[in-house]
Amino acid sequence: MVTQQDSPYNWGMVVDIDRCTGCQACVLACQVENNVPLNTENLYKQQRIYSWIRIERYWEGDFPDVKARFIPILCQQCGNAPCEPVCPVYATYHNNEGMNVQIYNRCVGTRYCANGCPYHVRFFNYWEPVWPESLRNQLNPDVTVRSRGVMEKCSFCVHRIRRAERKARGEDRLVMDGEIQSACSQACPTDALVFGNLNDLTSRVSKMSKDDRHYKLLDDKLGTDPNVVYLARVEEKVEEGAAAAHG
Amino acid sequence: MTDQVSRRKFLSMVGASTTGAVLFVACSSIPDEEFIIQAPVELPEDLVKGRDNWFATTCGVCDGGEGVVVRVMEGRAKKIAGNPDYPINLGKQNVRCDSALQMLYHPDRIAQPMARSSKGSGFTPITWGEAEAKLQEWAGSGRVTVATNPIRGQLGKVAGDFAAKFNGKHIQFQALEQGVLHGAMKSVFGADRLPEFDLGNARTVASFGADFLGTWISPTRYSTKYGEFRNAATGSGRGQLFQIEPRMSITAAAADKWIPNRPGMEGELALAVAAVIVEEGLVSDDNIARFTANLPEGALDVFKASTISLRAGVSEATIHDLARSLATEGPSLVIGGGSAGAHTNGSFNLNAIYSLNILLGSVGAKGGVFLNPDSPIDGLPSTATGASFADWEAELAQWRAGNINTVIIRGANIAHGLPRSVNVQQALDNVPHVVAFADVLDDTSAMADLVLPEASYLETWGIEVPEPAPGYQTVGFQQPVSTPARTRDGSSVLSDGRGFGDVLLRAADGALGAKTMKEFVDDAADTLQSNGGGSVTAPTASLLMRGLLQRGGWWDTNARGQTRPKDAPALTNLHADPEFSEPTEGEGEVFNLMPFASQALLDGRVAPAPWLQAVSDPITTAAWTTWVEINHHTAKRLGISQGDKLIIKSTTGEIEALAYPHRAVPPDMLGVPIGQGHEQGGRWAEGRGSNVLSILVDKKDAETGALAWAATKVRIINTGLNTEIAKAEGTVEAIAVEPGVPILVVEPGGNAKETLHHLEESYDPYADPNDN
Repeated sequence: MVTQQDSPYNWGMVVDIDRCTGCQACVLACQVENNVPLNTENLYKQQRIYSWIRIERYWEGDFPDVKARFIPILCQQCGNAPCEPVCPVYATYHNNEGMNVQIYNRCVGTRYCANGCPYHVRFFNYWEPVWPESLRNQLNPDVTVRSRGVMEKCSFCVHRIRRAERKARGEDRLVMDGEIQSACSQACPTDALVFGNLNDLTSRVSKMSKDDRHYKLLDDKLGTDPNVVYLARVEEKVEEGAAAAHG
Repeated sequence: MTDQVSRRKFLSMVGASTTGAVLFVACSSIPDEEFIIQAPVELPEDLVKGRDNWFATTCGVCDGGEGVVVRVMEGRAKKIAGNPDYPINLGKQNVRCDSALQMLYHPDRIAQPMARSSKGSGFTPITWGEAEAKLQEWAGSGRVTVATNPIRGQLGKVAGDFAAKFNGKHIQFQALEQGVLHGAMKSVFGADRLPEFDLGNARTVASFGADFLGTWISPTRYSTKYGEFRNAATGSGRGQLFQIEPRMSITAAAADKWIPNRPGMEGELALAVAAVIVEEGLVSDDNIARFTANLPEGALDVFKASTISLRAGVSEATIHDLARSLATEGPSLVIGGGSAGAHTNGSFNLNAIYSLNILLGSVGAKGGVFLNPDSPIDGLPSTATGASFADWEAELAQWRAGNINTVIIRGANIAHGLPRSVNVQQALDNVPHVVAFADVLDDTSAMADLVLPEASYLETWGIEVPEPAPGYQTVGFQQPVSTPARTRDGSSVLSDGRGFGDVLLRAADGALGAKTMKEFVDDAADTLQSNGGGSVTAPTASLLMRGLLQRGGWWDTNARGQTRPKDAPALTNLHADPEFSEPTEGEGEVFNLMPFASQALLDGRVAPAPWLQAVSDPITTAAWTTWVEINHHTAKRLGISQGDKLIIKSTTGEIEALAYPHRAVPPDMLGVPIGQGHEQGGRWAEGRGSNVLSILVDKKDAETGALAWAATKVRIINTGLNTEIAKAEGTVEAIAVEPGVPILVVEPGGNAKETLHHLEESYDPYADPNDN
């Protein structure tokens, strides 16, 4: 287990599935913020869309007693990340703030990391990303546009973190709770995504991560020790069929 | 990269790290810190410098009137986020907000005014001077119709005043019109405008047909409140949501209980719930008296749960459960809209649904319905809705008869949004002068004689009055946040667009009280300054203006709407069954057609934005196309597979769509998203998918004349062709295989660890996940 040292920060996120409605606001906010290439129709058909955060939908039951359940999946920023040791060039590494970080200009595109990731949250640039010239006006200058042959993934909006940390350092203080929001958590209208410093025991994310409903995705099976904590969906057991008379 | 790191040093550091990593595997006695692999380079993100500014303004993409802040660097808008100060959306946003950036920089934006020399000829670029001269001349000849999307605030006033000045009318258009909803508000609450739903404080919510978390009215506001409603507390504080609608929307998916009913029976279901509450005396006598005051004696007797259960396709026990939850686990709130109002008995349905709030004592009570006040600035419309389909038929008849000289269209894509049977093209052909404002050419503006490029809301001034307001007076201030969008090299502007309001004001030559929208904004600041109070106060109007622009608007939490106890209205049309169109003759199975607003594209107004085309639908995960949702058992019986190209036929037309069978569709229904099927709309929208609105039959709500857009019956024919659907889901249907992976469900007050333990103990790895 890699321990976090020399940093007062351990960035993490809590995802409350009970609040998630699957509305996709986080998905688009992330794409806009991070210069994620356009997911064309062809990319969809090749099953190669880029989605640093995505909403997965799972069915349960059958009509009329059927449920569609949503869960946002993003890089889990694992403490024991399967993607890290397999990279031959250290393009992916673990920093001392709890984040699994991708260095684009080191990546040589072996894709070992994507193969190793059990969450399918690493995306390979099979092609040079292309925007019509006028749309490039929108690109975020804080974020590198990745080139062909490079792996990319959720960075926890590291550029926002760096900016806030620089500002805090300049003011001789620590980053305050709520001072940084990732683009997805900023957008999420139901507040299902909460970002913050897990080392700060008074932070919102710290408190929420200890909720009775908390669990970590696949952690009990794979021991990945994610920094993303999920809070379980809440449902009462329904005894009576909703529409037994339907049809 | 820091300059101090030489290549040699860099390589030696990398080498050391590599060695450490290898040793780590073999030797566990070396301290952890030796193996923390740190990048010896600064991230490239650190190297970017520059100052960004965030400007507050009011969003013009959706209808709700949300407040946004826009990140601007070197005059270019880069990111849109919710304005944390603004009471409507409290810093949050929906999936469509950022699309305004792509519309701002869209490569197919109309660059300059264009005109035709005659009907049917091609467009020729002209100058703004020539365009304005034409507009003035044509408007001056009288008999003008100004057709817009529903617009409130200053822009709504300017459009109305302009039409009135030139002896014309202002008519508004919504593809999924909300006239039935507005009618119900008047009838039930006596309110001219939509009320505030206090979702955050409600304990039990029943929503009939309203996809309020996805596409209905003001989804960002409702979603912020839904988050509060769910509350992190898993015990008694967590609200219960019942969603009653035939199609599974994302609101139905989020609900604790989705109750799929037979289409058009929502009003009867609401009265069946009322009948249980009244019969069992679950609420106070006062509330029962208010609810029944205008009902004929014994009227509720025919709405017994046992009777309605069979008619509505909802079990008797479910009706009782819903009634008891609403009556005894309050505060309770009942909402209705969407497909519930889109039937021939739509007004009856919504009146009955909203009347439940009176029975439950929810009007003006915490967690219930709060009426909204009027605009704080005299004369500014605080409500707007599309004219009914019947009114549009009458208006188009005037156009067709040659009784209208000039039609000015803005934000009303009637060629796409009205059923094909009304023949918009023919009507426009009989209007001598058609002027259209557009950013990217759409199906309607392509038929105009004069096309004027419209500036984005990010480039213009305005005053917005959001609807629904948050229960108190609120005004949004819109300001130009970026310089006019330019080409990448900065050599020329992408579009010489101008604001709709500014162009009308110039054409009216000062007759509407100002020559620019900015003047109105200044006037509004003067008014608010002299009124005093509210969220921004200042000794002078100019100081106040600064504050207003910084905060994105003005609101006064003390200026609330009147709330008075009111009796439920006399419900009419009590025994009217919903009427559906006759299916076309010929082969193919008959289904109820249920069009629904696309989560990303809504009614198609934002279809030109590629980001939104590429958003996968939450339920099906499909994108970039038009699909048809069909029950998976029905599909199997009919030999239909995913991706099969189906022809959907009504008596007025047919469209093609790709089959997407799934398990959350009633066996006799088809769900088809609205938003695609544009002939125009730029490179990402043109010729993509089909327009389901085009085949709707002209059934209308009996009271308001609104289009009963859920009342069309269709047949389907399988063409035998199959195409892969662009979708995020893999090739296998996503069903959780192992317990609690990836979605863990606990009971209220439950513990994740204990639940997982229990699930794993009872887990049978050989069981068929389809049996869950």
